[in-house]
Amino acid sequence: MNDMKFADPTWAWQPFEPTADRPWDRSLVSHLYRRAGFGADLPSIEKAIDRSPADVVNELVASNREQSDFRATADALANATLAGGDPAKLSAAWVYRLLYTPNQVLEKLTLFWHGHFATGAEKVKDARMMWNQNQLLREHALGNFGDLAMKISHDPAMLIYLDSAINRKAHPNENFARELMELFCLGEGNYSEKDVLELARCFTGWEIKNKKFRKNRYQHDSKEKSVLGQSGNFDGEDGVRIVLEQPAAPKFIARKLYRFFVCDEPRPTDAMLQPLADLLREHDFEVAPVIARILGSNIFYSTNSVGRKIKSPVELVIGTLRCLNATTNTQRVAKGLRNIGQGLFYPPNVKGWDGGRAWINSSTLLGRANLVADILDSNTTRFDGKSLSEYLHTQNVRTTDQAIEHFEVCLLAVRLDEATKAQLRKTTAAHTGDKERQMRSLLHAVTSLPVCQLA
Amino acid sequence: MHIATNQNRRNFLGSSISGATALGIGAALPACFAEAASAAPKANERILVVVQMSGGNDGLNTIVPFADDHYRSARPKLAIPKNELRKISDEDGLHPSMTGIEELLQNGQFAAIRNVGYEKPNRSHFESMDIWHTCRRKDEPRGDGWLGRYLDQQPATSGGDVPALHLGQEQQPVAVASSTVRVPTVKDLAEFQLRGSDKQSLRDLLENRPPTNPSSDNDLLNFLQSSTTSAIAASQRVTDAAQGYKSKVKYPETELGNKLRVVAQLIDAGLTTRIYYVQHDGFDTHAQQAETHSVLLRQWSDAVSALIRDLNAHDHGQRVCVMTFSEFGRRVSENASEGTDHGAAGPMFLCGGGVKAGIIGKRPNLTDLQQGDLKHEYDFRQVYASVLKDWLGTDPTPILGKEYQSLPLFA
Repeated sequence: MNDMKFADPTWAWQPFEPTADRPWDRSLVSHLYRRAGFGADLPSIEKAIDRSPADVVNELVASNREQSDFRATADALANATLAGGDPAKLSAAWVYRLLYTPNQVLEKLTLFWHGHFATGAEKVKDARMMWNQNQLLREHALGNFGDLAMKISHDPAMLIYLDSAINRKAHPNENFARELMELFCLGEGNYSEKDVLELARCFTGWEIKNKKFRKNRYQHDSKEKSVLGQSGNFDGEDGVRIVLEQPAAPKFIARKLYRFFVCDEPRPTDAMLQPLADLLREHDFEVAPVIARILGSNIFYSTNSVGRKIKSPVELVIGTLRCLNATTNTQRVAKGLRNIGQGLFYPPNVKGWDGGRAWINSSTLLGRANLVADILDSNTTRFDGKSLSEYLHTQNVRTTDQAIEHFEVCLLAVRLDEATKAQLRKTTAAHTGDKERQMRSLLHAVTSLPVCQLA
Repeated sequence: MHIATNQNRRNFLGSSISGATALGIGAALPACFAEAASAAPKANERILVVVQMSGGNDGLNTIVPFADDHYRSARPKLAIPKNELRKISDEDGLHPSMTGIEELLQNGQFAAIRNVGYEKPNRSHFESMDIWHTCRRKDEPRGDGWLGRYLDQQPATSGGDVPALHLGQEQQPVAVASSTVRVPTVKDLAEFQLRGSDKQSLRDLLENRPPTNPSSDNDLLNFLQSSTTSAIAASQRVTDAAQGYKSKVKYPETELGNKLRVVAQLIDAGLTTRIYYVQHDGFDTHAQQAETHSVLLRQWSDAVSALIRDLNAHDHGQRVCVMTFSEFGRRVSENASEGTDHGAAGPMFLCGGGVKAGIIGKRPNLTDLQQGDLKHEYDFRQVYASVLKDWLGTDPTPILGKEYQSLPLFA
């Protein structure tokens, strides 16, 4: 592989064809499942090797609607927590979905849009509003970005979060207008301060009354506005439409999707993003074709992507559990995730999570190791209903080396070196005679390694 | 990068005094361990504590130009009545919440620099914060921060202590990002260590990781390795250092109060850390500003003044300076949601025994505005330059990228 090729957008976005150098094997299948969703157990990985990459990707992306029975269960759980009204408890209902959904890509994108249209429950305070927004994100996660942007502009949780529950024509509040351009659609630098003022006038009269969106025509500024080069008597819907018509919009979304699915670093060139942006424009902002293109591409299966992302807390914890068919206390996981920097419904601010290296500091590293320790120390944690050692036995694991191998395939993007394996054997040997202790110690050690923080 | 741990010179005290701190019971230290109170501590012993007000602090309602009629007319709802302010001159008053700061000013331990900003102000929280943190604009490479570049220039400290610490649960500020040093983040002192039944073997596993596949070409992996090594080392050093601190000063029971209390603890434990960084969030007051702003300023004023009092009581008052800034000020005119939108120039604050007390800068001109916002009189890098040169004793030019005229901020 040479680096010249990596920089060539034509090569990058062509469909990946396995070769002798780059075979469609357990590690690439595992990479696909880890990035497209939260990972898969060994039997699922083995099954996918017999099918073509394109076939597996298309099936993943096509699965964009929850099955009714799963949905009924997950919603019933969420509704039970809504009765109490505490958004912190609501996080656990989402953890349930992340852990058990058969539609991993859909859930991964729901999480992506939550970070994109970031809204924090500490300010909104209303659990049901947060839940309604979450359902909105899920409904459009693999749908149309234009529709989603329009719907989010009417979303009570979003408008409350951005101080736009009241917006009067006398002195329009600029907050929502600014973030719509800066963080949701265009990116900083692709609009002027005057555009912020004029767009804010478009949204005057939009308000949240009795927890519902409504337009107060007495407070709407009905004079002519001039936004991003277009002039007219615009209202808020016109404003959103004009923003989405900007050439910067598809590129902005493409850049975020690239970083989310392909790699944290380095930043892709404009030339690299252009084909994705074109695809978005061509399909009038349909998201699914772009996701399918990314997940089936040469660049996605290259050494420029594999192991070139840092796992988010959700990817580390949910990924570890899903790869081993584990069930556990969802409240503990929800609380733990918040503690290590990714509280569901609690993004740090309207920009969402920066991701990449920003996930990592001394506190979050210690916190990650401690959260996994808590989960493994708890007797509510079961693996396909069994103890960890029993589960591994059903997966034909008989020795420490086989256990290391099993964890490597499912959890690691980069193989372990011999020195580390030797250290792991030593750690495990300390608990001779207690198979379960051995396996839990080993799993805890593997998940705490720097290399396990890579996706 | 490896941080060696050394014996804290007060470690043995931790065994005789329990780690739990009872407020109000001061334990006198044996005289041989008390810092000799020196009038002019050497530059290499001085400490900078940075407090970041996130969201854009409304400077006009922090130091209020009450004598200016334009102030009242621009803010029919948000202008603070003259009789409620803490007057500091015939023209200006402090926000009523700022009793602690007023006291510092009266004791000659508070300075405010007004109208601080930069050319072509950016009104995005994130972009403007990046400009303040890196001293660079978006079109320039900016992987490190101004404090990170300062750290790069420092010789490794004798005790092997971390040269800087970030306290808080938010992600690490770019200001302390450096190419050579991994700055630890401490979210919570009590949780800053490994837990679980395997913690000792895990520590052994993670402590001195052999470099993977000789010098991996994967930068992220190298970053994770060095971050892990320094996390394990820092966790032992900081947890040891924080044992057994006693203070008579009552800190406010707030997030900022708790963080600054830990800062005092670590300073007093003799950690050679030079930079502490904390954030105080919530200043993005687009709606219903009055009450929120009042609470936030009280929290800041109470916590910072408690820290200064505490440091004075432990004889560190002359070697610590607290610098407070925000990414921008706010619009001069209020909006219709009883809030203010993003602005440009605003004040910065310095607190501590070494500062030249008073208010620096003109009264903000409320009629000569740019897009409704205050114009800046001083570039923020002039303040940084003064702090670097006159407080931390280092050449600011390579850190800031060019020469900035420093200001007379230190006594």
